[in-house]
Amino acid sequence: MISELLYIISKYGPLLLEGLKTTFIITLISYFIGFVGGISIAITRTFLHKALKVFAHIYVELFRGTPMLVQLFFVYYALPEMGIRFDPILSSIIAIGLNSAAYQSEYIRSALSSIPYAEIEAAYSIGLTRFGAMLYIALPQAVRIAIPTLTNEAIYLFKYSSIAYFVTAPELMYMGKLVATQTFLYVEVYTVLAIIYVIFSIVLSGIARYIEKKLQIPGYIV
Amino acid sequence: MWQSFASYIPIISSAVPNTLILTFLSFAIATALGISMAFAEVFATKAVSIVVDWIARVLRGIPLIISIFIVFYGLPKVGVVLPSLYAAILGIAIVDAGYQEQIFRGAIKAVSTKQLEAAYSLGLARAEAFLYIVLPQAFRIALPSWINDFTVVLKDTSIAYAIGVVEVFTQAVHVAQVIMDYVWPLIFVSVIYLAICYPLSLLSNYLHSKLKSMGMLGSGM
Amino acid sequence: MRDKLLIVEDLWKFIDGKPILRGVAFEINEGETKVILGPSGAGKSTLLRCINLLVMPDKGKIIFDGEDILGKHDIHSVRSKIGFVFQHFNLFSHMTALENVMFGLIKVKKMSKNEAEKKAKGALAAVGITEELWDKYPAQLSGGQQQRVAIARALAMEPKLILFDEPTSALDPELIWEVLNVMERLAKARMTMIVVTHEIGFAMRVADEVMFLDNGVILEKGAPEQVILNPRNERVKRFMDRMKYVYSIGKGNVY
Repeated sequence: MISELLYIISKYGPLLLEGLKTTFIITLISYFIGFVGGISIAITRTFLHKALKVFAHIYVELFRGTPMLVQLFFVYYALPEMGIRFDPILSSIIAIGLNSAAYQSEYIRSALSSIPYAEIEAAYSIGLTRFGAMLYIALPQAVRIAIPTLTNEAIYLFKYSSIAYFVTAPELMYMGKLVATQTFLYVEVYTVLAIIYVIFSIVLSGIARYIEKKLQIPGYIV
Repeated sequence: MWQSFASYIPIISSAVPNTLILTFLSFAIATALGISMAFAEVFATKAVSIVVDWIARVLRGIPLIISIFIVFYGLPKVGVVLPSLYAAILGIAIVDAGYQEQIFRGAIKAVSTKQLEAAYSLGLARAEAFLYIVLPQAFRIALPSWINDFTVVLKDTSIAYAIGVVEVFTQAVHVAQVIMDYVWPLIFVSVIYLAICYPLSLLSNYLHSKLKSMGMLGSGM
Repeated sequence: MRDKLLIVEDLWKFIDGKPILRGVAFEINEGETKVILGPSGAGKSTLLRCINLLVMPDKGKIIFDGEDILGKHDIHSVRSKIGFVFQHFNLFSHMTALENVMFGLIKVKKMSKNEAEKKAKGALAAVGITEELWDKYPAQLSGGQQQRVAIARALAMEPKLILFDEPTSALDPELIWEVLNVMERLAKARMTMIVVTHEIGFAMRVADEVMFLDNGVILEKGAPEQVILNPRNERVKRFMDRMKYVYSIGKGNVY
């Protein structure tokens, strides 16, 4: 087994590395979309107009209530029927990003709701507007409180971006499948992939804990 | 489009039982594994605790498709030939066990030492204190996340499509390929998933807010 | 003849259909300190919140600095001229002591960072918050220190009026002194202040006028000696007797 793993790594390492690069690109961009979208949705649902709130609520429930795989297939296979066409990587980024926005909005929203209204009132008392209080007082704290869940989400996306393989985006899983069908070493190849994913997940969560500590408000316990 | 799809609705619906079997079995196995690991991690010796923690971390780090593939291709190699449905159940359960370990460990740890101290102060033995004080509270604390994890597993069963398990998503894709329209089949499976996930997510939220109002969540414990 | 800084006329506020304020009226001159006493639930907090427009009154008039502020569109500029010190300090937990004080100067008064910093440090020094505490976060400060930072935050905005909502009620007894001390110095410096408090000693020493609010109505107002030591109203007398019992040492009266 070990020799086969080494063989795979030495022979197909560069190919897998290529895939890993794509995996990171998909993860990073979709996470970014999810973060910006998540903040916008959370703000909408917490502070904004009623009609918009309902719309944001439906968005979140739709995306959280259905599998990401269905959403990915919708973007890649169903949208072209309506004349909207994206390549595999972009489709994956869009689907994963939109999905993540729903989840990240929930993390930020629950953090927002944990900020005492007293601090918002204090901001009003020195003359801040509703928007100012939200931007400078509520949001910075909410994002910090949500950091553990937000970084978990990034690691989750890193692993889950492997579903991009289903729409032939050339990421790590897809490259692994190529190697597996060429070598017939299915179990060995997937074990190598698992090891790669696990190592990066654990390293990333180490980095996440570090960021968490760095950004923690001293003395403040959530 | 709808007309051509409508006659295929029974084909997709007929796979609902398979999706539910996949979900319930893998979830149940994961719960058994998860609770065992959580207890081992909290109450066993330091060395065992560290090993269990790392096992759970590794399990959580494996993407679901890969876990399913490894089980699917790996079991025959060691002489176990399982239908793809069971390979998927195992593959999902293994990864989810890592997540459930996290849920139950958090819940057990959330029952504070203060509660234990209070139990000891009444003269309860260690085992009694765990049974009557820690377990009931930990179960309640874990419940919202546990229900939520069930919906996660339900949605994740769609990945069993990778090894051709006949569940609702696989059927939807097959139908889509036949009628050359993905829109309706995908909307239809979405409705199936939503019909199960949405009520459960409401329940989970309700229980969560109830716990919060009971003061059983947060650092104040 | 001093200017009337604030005139409150026939102020009413209903919350959930229940009248919290029932026709409150009073005036305050520039440089005066007014103390509001009364049982909890009397509407004291609501009254202060109405003056700062944190709560909108249902009826009545509030003339501040010659302007009817209830009709004004820009409530934010009104608030920036009226300081508010909360019972639970309400410091921004993600900012240091210094940043808490600088924040309003930069975001509301649009000062440059340098200017704001200089001013904030001055305000912190004025309330006795020394340099080693400037970079501490609220959770790292004692209650008394937090409240003094909160006072500095209000003070730095150069308000024409500061409202204190039970500023010492959340403090440990031995920390009350440091906050009252700062407030007394402010009063002596002729800062215009309205203080809701149970500290009758403070009221005796500092107040130009004491008002007794109960059930949304001012039952009695006048010089502290009169309202606290010789109230005419029976209800007020009962309240003061209890307060004097709580704050007295042995048999003797504090005063």
